[in-house]
Amino acid sequence: MSESPPEFPATRCADCGLLYGHEAYICRECGSETFERAPLDGSGTVYARTTIRVPGSDHQGEEPFEVAIVDVGGEETVRVTVRIEENPELGPDDPVEFVDRRDGVFYFRAA
Amino acid sequence: MNDVCVIGMGTTEFGVREEGIVELGVTAVGRALRSCDVDREEVDALYLGNFVAGMLEGQETLAPLVADSVGLVGVPAMKTEGACASSGIAFRQAYQAIRTGVHDVVVVAGVERMTNAETSEFTRALGSAADHGTDGATGLTFPGFYGLVLDRYMHEYGATREQVAAVSVKNRKNGASNPRARFRSPVTVDDVVDSRLVADPLRLYDCCPAADGAAAVVLASADVAESYTETPIAVLGSGHATGRSAAYRYDDLTTLEATTLAAEEAYDEAGISPSDVDVVELHDCFSAAEIGDSEDLGFFEKGEGAAAVAAGRTAVDGELPINPSGGLLAKGHPVGATGIGQIYEVCLQLLGEHENQVDGAEVGLAHNLGGSGAVSTVTVLGGPSGV
Ligand SMILES: [Zn+2]
Repeated sequence: MSESPPEFPATRCADCGLLYGHEAYICRECGSETFERAPLDGSGTVYARTTIRVPGSDHQGEEPFEVAIVDVGGEETVRVTVRIEENPELGPDDPVEFVDRRDGVFYFRAA
Repeated sequence: MNDVCVIGMGTTEFGVREEGIVELGVTAVGRALRSCDVDREEVDALYLGNFVAGMLEGQETLAPLVADSVGLVGVPAMKTEGACASSGIAFRQAYQAIRTGVHDVVVVAGVERMTNAETSEFTRALGSAADHGTDGATGLTFPGFYGLVLDRYMHEYGATREQVAAVSVKNRKNGASNPRARFRSPVTVDDVVDSRLVADPLRLYDCCPAADGAAAVVLASADVAESYTETPIAVLGSGHATGRSAAYRYDDLTTLEATTLAAEEAYDEAGISPSDVDVVELHDCFSAAEIGDSEDLGFFEKGEGAAAVAAGRTAVDGELPINPSGGLLAKGHPVGATGIGQIYEVCLQLLGEHENQVDGAEVGLAHNLGGSGAVSTVTVLGGPSGV
């Protein structure tokens, strides 16, 4: 894991500068509809984690899988809801890194 | 501003029911109307909370269907939806309409039918209360949301799994003597911590059961309330607030702001503080939820809720009885019916007629929460001697 992870595709409000991890359609701070790319360092920290063992019908067969809240970025961070790959026993404060985004879902793994 | 009272109430048992969604709603509304001297012509409106009848039964337009079936002719009838807070919102809307003089007498109901669906379909339907594009896309479920909450809570406050399990033990014990509850058998701490994992660290017995059921109350302006009943229950305060749209939106996942904001509004309006409350029915969809709610409602300091339950402080004979009905964990959680079901239980307490009666209960609080903390309603009720 010595290679640095891929950049995380955050965006920033072009008017007030507020940073977004998940897409925003309108800035909740200033109301702007203009956003620009603001890639972040893909390293992060787990805030909270759970393992889903009883999924809904649209995720049947994928269980067990891990969902976590992660603070991603270096100097500046944003909080996002993500999938953790490879089902590791991660918990609060553990380091993780961005893998990629598939079907609109951010995937992270243990760093 | 008019004062508002609960003048009648009716419910079905919560559990596995054979009746269809409309029949359940009609039964509860019919019982509520029969419990007081209100003629159908005197009812000005019907507000009904429901969440997933459209998805699981393909039945919408519920409020007018129920209204017509119970003989409420021509009145405005509408459905409110806010996931598990659907009927808490219905109550709030009816309360506002009476308070501002738009209506004098309003029937408020909540109804849900869930046990006829497969677990995966039911989990998917419940999951529709999460934001599809963010939390929902990851496959995060409702138990999953509270799994995240509990993971963080235990990390921050050092609460033990056994302390958290005490919520289920208490509520299942209370539910054992509530004939309206789905689960009427007690469980032990070992039963809870040995049950299978659902959304780590939450286990099966930390989770409320699905249920079918309906509950209804009749609300009236205080000016006319005493012409319908000798024991009106006063609505002392009501709060309704929006919280965060998804799990990642919380700076602190152990505090759900929809609850703290709704509680603040309800306490302010009632002119009371949390220490004035004698009995509470709060939204224990999961054991972890009851602990967080009890802190968000101001009953315990942040981080002390788990130890308080384990120490028996929230038992029926404790200093602040929480969920003497058995709560959602024992009564079951027919989501759209839950909010009115809680108000029903609090009213029974204030009338002194509850199976798990809290001695001298004069001020009661009902707390209803929907989505990933997206919406909450809080209702403060006062016993008939105070009207
Ligand atoms: Zn902005």
